[in-house]
Amino acid sequence: MRDIAGTVACIDGNTFMVSDASGDVETSPATPVGLFAADSRFLSRWRLTVNGECMTALSVDNSQYFEVTFFVVPGAAVDYVQADVSAIRRRRIGPDLTESLTIFNYGERVMDLDIRLEVAADFADIFEIKFNVVDKVGSHYTRVGPNELRLGYRRATYHREVVVSASEPAEFGPDGLRFAIRLNPGEQWSTRLQAAMLALRPDGVDLRSALRAQRPDDSTLPASLRAWTAAAPTLDTESVALQQIYQRSLVDLAALRFAPLSLGGAAVPAAGLPWFMTLFGRDSLLTCLQTLPVTPSLTPPTLRILASLQGARTDDVLEEDPGRILHELRYGESAAFEEQPHSPYYGTVDASPLFVVLLDEYERWSGDAALVLELEPEARAALAWIDRYADLNSTGYIWYRRRNRATGLDNQCWKDSWDSISYADGRLPSFPRATCETQGYAYDAKIRAARLARTVWNDQAFADRLEREAAALYDRFNRDFWLEEQGFYALALDHDGTPVDSLSSNIGHLLWSGIVPPERAPRVVEHLMGPALFSGWGVRTFAEGQRRYNPLGYHNGTVWPFDNSFIAWGLRRYGFSREAGRIAEGILSAATYFQGRLPEAFGGFDRNTTRFPVRYPTAGSPQAWSSGASMLLLRTMLGIDPHEDHLAVDPALPSIFERIALLDIPGRWGKVDAFARRRPDQP
Amino acid sequence: MTATSAFFDRLTVAGEDPRFSNVCGSVRFDIRDGDQVEQWLLEIDHGRMRVSRSDGPATTVIRASAQVAEAMARGEVNGLAAITRGEILVDGDLNLALRIGRLFPRAPGPPEHDGPGER
Repeated sequence: MRDIAGTVACIDGNTFMVSDASGDVETSPATPVGLFAADSRFLSRWRLTVNGECMTALSVDNSQYFEVTFFVVPGAAVDYVQADVSAIRRRRIGPDLTESLTIFNYGERVMDLDIRLEVAADFADIFEIKFNVVDKVGSHYTRVGPNELRLGYRRATYHREVVVSASEPAEFGPDGLRFAIRLNPGEQWSTRLQAAMLALRPDGVDLRSALRAQRPDDSTLPASLRAWTAAAPTLDTESVALQQIYQRSLVDLAALRFAPLSLGGAAVPAAGLPWFMTLFGRDSLLTCLQTLPVTPSLTPPTLRILASLQGARTDDVLEEDPGRILHELRYGESAAFEEQPHSPYYGTVDASPLFVVLLDEYERWSGDAALVLELEPEARAALAWIDRYADLNSTGYIWYRRRNRATGLDNQCWKDSWDSISYADGRLPSFPRATCETQGYAYDAKIRAARLARTVWNDQAFADRLEREAAALYDRFNRDFWLEEQGFYALALDHDGTPVDSLSSNIGHLLWSGIVPPERAPRVVEHLMGPALFSGWGVRTFAEGQRRYNPLGYHNGTVWPFDNSFIAWGLRRYGFSREAGRIAEGILSAATYFQGRLPEAFGGFDRNTTRFPVRYPTAGSPQAWSSGASMLLLRTMLGIDPHEDHLAVDPALPSIFERIALLDIPGRWGKVDAFARRRPDQP
Repeated sequence: MTATSAFFDRLTVAGEDPRFSNVCGSVRFDIRDGDQVEQWLLEIDHGRMRVSRSDGPATTVIRASAQVAEAMARGEVNGLAAITRGEILVDGDLNLALRIGRLFPRAPGPPEHDGPGER
């Protein structure tokens, strides 16, 4: 897996193209660049040359996610460019890839140009790229026609094909196409290249054709983006940086919308580029929770698709149980042939409680009781899963231990890498494990479901039972997870109930869920904002000084913007406005080093040492819950929260902002504005 | 009797399924065995199910070979994976087809753990 710094992405939901800055794609097996759709790579080579020279980028415009324009000249990058010939590649991603190529001759001579586009397709599954698998089981074919090049891959009834064509006459060969043109001084020449991606059934119909029929064609994309941006509240602030972050986040959330095969065209957020361009239960639920004040339209389709794919049976490969909300859904070759368990995979313990949490939070904002009624069976099933299937040793907690021993996940919480859950001295606990934040989600889910049962489902007895269970969980949790000497909550319980004693960001989520007694909150907050966890930019996933701490460890020391946004929300819940403001200031300041686009994670190095946030090598970007983090941080700074039929506003701005106003916030109140101005008595 | 017809018999006897209390729609299964096509129509109305041998119109049509249908009925096939690899063809409402997929059993995994169902 190589770093993909300097790449340029063009995105439309789970179809996307990643190239270098000149627009070229040249892959080695383990690099996630190329043209992708439905978790497969349809172009692994797409390289433009003019008279044998490759192109160098002068500038790139990717202000619209679905369209990228590359201004390029032939020749390697040197100090002085003699650019008589130059070119513009305008790339657009829709159902197909289209690229308009225009060549200019600004020189004084007639130019004979040999323009070539090298094309190859390896049809690699995204997991083959991730795990560097080179040999494919099926067979590739190449068909050269007079007006097109067809590259395909077949394995039994699995069939994928890409058809490359051009609007101008070209000479097609097995490795690409070429144009021979003559340009007089001042002349230009254009062609429109197209790569159509097909996921074919044996009867020749594209698997996704029903979906495509409902999908607007790509000429409507600019209007759709305008409508999306127009529907969101307007941000008014003196901070140019915050304005940029807000606009970038809105556009990236639009870019990551995709319509899963089974949802009849409605769009849900894909998790992130390049590895997670698909539906994830946890990521989509948390993204919706972050974005309710600005883009609430994401939530109903997300809840509906997760409901329709909710577990119904017991299956040890998919780790499915009745009521369990899915972890990950894929359409690639490895899922199709069940080499990976993603059809769909259920190995997560937090998506089920978070499903209930989002349903309630959405109702509080929208007043949409009809959706709460519609999804009552699924919400009840998710709650039943918590008690019946997740409590693996009858101790009253959500535990996990993978049942799919070949390809299942060891850790089924948000920190899902293999070494993310460890004791302070580095030992790994045995299975099953129960992480602390998951118990917080379960507590919150029961409290919120009780409200729904009382107000919408009209089931008083169920509400009472849920509240009794929540109260018991609160007591039990505060007895078993609390480390009195250290003054924080254990990261997890080991299989035998021993607390896993490391200090982690997970304790911040507990504040968000409300499972922390108010008298314990100050000690928890002291740890969150102390030097071992707080880097100056944000709260590290894992505290410095512990055995497995590494500022570039995926879940063992990096700073995750999404994680911090929920911690800030929790801090405000317990009245720690100043601390929430410090997190907002740190994360939003970090965003300015990434052109307003927060990555999945960045290094946990101390802010005073590095002065800038250190890029995490393989961090995904854009990432839905990182874009969502900016939105949730805005919410926490404004202190907006639904109360019955109005929106309460209780602002607390960190010192870098003078004024923030969010205008036309949609909800059950219609549309209202929230204003915040920094008070002189605030630091 | 084939596993497929036993499966539809079970649905006929059951007559309803509470998991489909908010589902309405019709699904026709076209099961091909050589030149022969066996057709089953499943109509769902708020959880009530009606099964018939019919070539009548349906909002969703699922096509598969007799071999794949038998494997489905025995619980040996992941329906979504089979759709993705082109072994099961769905026209119409894929969401409904996936929900219907829950009616099919899944063969139990190797009994190597004390899963929650066994406690």
